Amino acid sequence: MMKDLLLIAQIAGRRCAFPAEEVQSAIEISTITPVPGAPDYISGITAMRSQTLTVIDCRRALGFDPDQWALDHRAIVVAVDGYSYALRIDAIEDITGGVAEPETIPGGFGPEWSRVATGLVETRTGPALLIDLAALIADPDALGAAA
Amino acid sequence: MDDLLADFVAETREMLEASEGEIIAWEADPADRARLDTIFRFVHTVKGNCGFFDFPRLAELSHAAEDALADCRADRRTPDRALVTAVLAIIDRIVAMVDAIEAGEEFPAGGDEELIAALEPGAEAATGDATPVLEPHELDDSGAQQQSKKPEAPAALRTIRLPVDLLDRVMSGVSDMVLARNDLAHRLRQAGTQPTIDGPFERLTTILSDVRDAITRMRMQRIETLFGALPRLARDLSNELGKQVMIDLEGGDVELDREMIEMIRDPLTHIIRNAIDHGIETPSQRLAQGKREIGILSIAARQSGNTISIVVSDDGNGLDEDRIAAKAVATGLITSAQRAKMSRDAILQLIFQPGFSTAEQVSNISGRGVGLDVVRDNLAKVGGSIKVTSTPGVGTMFTLQIPLTLSIIAGLTVDVGDQRFAIPQSYVEEIVHASSKSLDFARVGESALVTFRGNRIPAIRLARVLGLPDDTVPDGEHTKVVLRLASGDIFALGVDNIHSHGDLVVKPLAPAIMRSGTYAGSTLLDDGQPVLLLDVTNIAAQFNLVSDARSRVHLDDENEAQDTVKKAARAMLFTDFNGRRCGVRLELVQRIETAPVSAIDTSGSAPRAVINGVILPLIGLPDGPFPAEKVRLLRLTDGTTQLLHAVREVDDAMELTDTLKRVPDDPMVEAVTLVDGQTVTLLDGHELFARFGEAPEHAEKPLCRLPANDWAQTILAPLVMQAGYEIASGEDGNEDVAIWFDDEFEAAVALDFDFKSPVIRLSDVPEGNDSADTVYRYDRDGLIAALRRARPATLKAGAAR
Repeated sequence: MMKDLLLIAQIAGRRCAFPAEEVQSAIEISTITPVPGAPDYISGITAMRSQTLTVIDCRRALGFDPDQWALDHRAIVVAVDGYSYALRIDAIEDITGGVAEPETIPGGFGPEWSRVATGLVETRTGPALLIDLAALIADPDALGAAA
Repeated sequence: MDDLLADFVAETREMLEASEGEIIAWEADPADRARLDTIFRFVHTVKGNCGFFDFPRLAELSHAAEDALADCRADRRTPDRALVTAVLAIIDRIVAMVDAIEAGEEFPAGGDEELIAALEPGAEAATGDATPVLEPHELDDSGAQQQSKKPEAPAALRTIRLPVDLLDRVMSGVSDMVLARNDLAHRLRQAGTQPTIDGPFERLTTILSDVRDAITRMRMQRIETLFGALPRLARDLSNELGKQVMIDLEGGDVELDREMIEMIRDPLTHIIRNAIDHGIETPSQRLAQGKREIGILSIAARQSGNTISIVVSDDGNGLDEDRIAAKAVATGLITSAQRAKMSRDAILQLIFQPGFSTAEQVSNISGRGVGLDVVRDNLAKVGGSIKVTSTPGVGTMFTLQIPLTLSIIAGLTVDVGDQRFAIPQSYVEEIVHASSKSLDFARVGESALVTFRGNRIPAIRLARVLGLPDDTVPDGEHTKVVLRLASGDIFALGVDNIHSHGDLVVKPLAPAIMRSGTYAGSTLLDDGQPVLLLDVTNIAAQFNLVSDARSRVHLDDENEAQDTVKKAARAMLFTDFNGRRCGVRLELVQRIETAPVSAIDTSGSAPRAVINGVILPLIGLPDGPFPAEKVRLLRLTDGTTQLLHAVREVDDAMELTDTLKRVPDDPMVEAVTLVDGQTVTLLDGHELFARFGEAPEHAEKPLCRLPANDWAQTILAPLVMQAGYEIASGEDGNEDVAIWFDDEFEAAVALDFDFKSPVIRLSDVPEGNDSADTVYRYDRDGLIAALRRARPATLKAGAAR
């Protein structure tokens, strides 16, 4: 599976990998309509053609302060459970192939990352964290409440 | 009943197809909890559905399987291969029985006991692989007629089953088309009028709205189809339990998305079972409590905007808060410390938690509480919700809310701060502008109240609902949107501005946003900007603006109260172009229209305007030019005739509480009165309609006859059509105006030709002919002016026809 293409992006200064088949596209983010009352990792909603995307700031979703990092004007569009999301990240780096199966490393990835990382994946351009989209998008404060 | 049976068979099959993969996966790994749950739900649903019909064997089999699986779920038993095999054998038997039911045959007796016995923990040795799994071919032994069953059964049906997925795709495709159309409309407006494009575009719009209606209807079904089975269910259950229950159904004509009906079928059945089993007391208990022997179970469906609410209420014993709390603490759902801090309402909602049940005995009727968590999950899946309210000794009320996502609704967009939100139009009772003093804003403690139609209703600012920073607008000076909930409760929502209203395509929102409970969906405006749709019902609930249970009784009183209040004269106030404050009685106002100045034709003896293809007489125009591109028009009607009144500004609908002072010398004025200390001239409806009212006339295009040559057909015709004419064809002289070349015209005059209609004469040279009656054939403005001049007369001719 890890021979498949991966989209590499920087989140909070770390290299992260998304399986390319889970990524619908990368779009330029235009206006974001804020959603009062939504969890703070949701920046708002935005329109892509006639679709509404939920804009997620991945850095906040992981518990980092987004102001410390650059922000790509593009966002990664993914679909989880029939809903479409636009993921905001530091920067989109590259699309590359994985060279090995994902693996865990002793000591884990740190408290913020363990929740969303499937494992470490070696790519042609170096190691990256493989991200579990569903975990990334799930509301960290509402875990268990809806399941 | 045959329909129900067919539904039952189809549903069982569908569920089985859907869970087939799960069954196989479970076989591979009996410890897999998710698979176990799926299969549990399958047998549970089959058991539930059997309640409709007299299928004791199916009920027995599914109940047995459910028992065994429930033990596994509760960790009282570890699933092993033997159990899996036994359960699968039962599922196979259920399928075989369902096949027989569909074919209308008797299923061969016997064999059930062995299957059920195989479920027992110690039964491995006895059954194992030897479990009599019934293969379809074994059925053939039952008789020769088996062969003919396939062709017979479906013959009567002239319908096709489509995957809902496909319908969804078509539906969302059409929704997207509507958005694309709106976008295009926006751009066309910016580009100005282009008759060659506007025509086809209008046609596209019409077609699109037809298609949209058809698609929407395609998915709709009356909720009756669901209600139909309930009285029988209630009767059978109450007989079995020795109770007396009367079922009261209301709102069967509410139409609901087919898929939604399927979605709520199980939840509703479940709630009704619970109500009869646990809620309603036995006749003797009821008598002892001073209630009527017969319990009443009422089920009411209501549509309001994009939400259907179904309220199931019984007049039984109510929910026992302490028992629920004790149970929740015992099962570790909450701690005693948490319990102490919880309100009664919060405790009641615990019954929707997974694995919760207060039933001390497991009965055949309401199962063991698998229902309510499944019910809630199923509803949540479609964006719905379920709530319970209950008064001890008085009754319990379940409210199911099902939003119609992926649908198109009429909505109002409002501004708060620099953000825009949408409200389903169906909730909107009235909009009261900030300037109006009729609301009588009052602050009582921390609550704000306004007076609306004689009742004090709660008011809340949208900015506060959304937790937005306080704006500078002082309390009580917001524009108020008065909202009426499905329950009949009314409250006012304060916003900064009303933006517009129109059709909104509602799209579902991501679960993380839905969880806030403030929004029902999102929609895109014409310019592609996404806007959040407010969940009015939920907002009201969050701010405790909803009255509890028993509200239906309440509502009737309220309606009566309103009727009496309505008797005070109400008027639509406006400012006319002379700056005069005027009013017309509200009953006369059909609608407020906004029309471009170009829709107004002042060239005739009486001004007219075209609104949606209908020509109406128009009064109240300014003496000079229009101050703006668009004019606000009050569309007045007396029931048969109509007229338009142009206004500078629409103020508000008001009650006329002050005395009406008659004005004898001006027949156009009924009276003068005071509103907020200012004089208002109330126009006399009788005189208005006597003088100006006309039956609406469709803007039939006048006919214009053209000279018979190529130049006229190819070059002149488009221009004439742009000027709003149709080209006359054929020989009959029914045209409203004719265009002649001047030389031919003169020849015709010389021949004493009988001109049946006004004539526009075209000359070949710019200023050659000294006669003022001709127009140079390439003088575009001159031609259009001449055609316009000819028009008022033709309109009158049209009216006389």
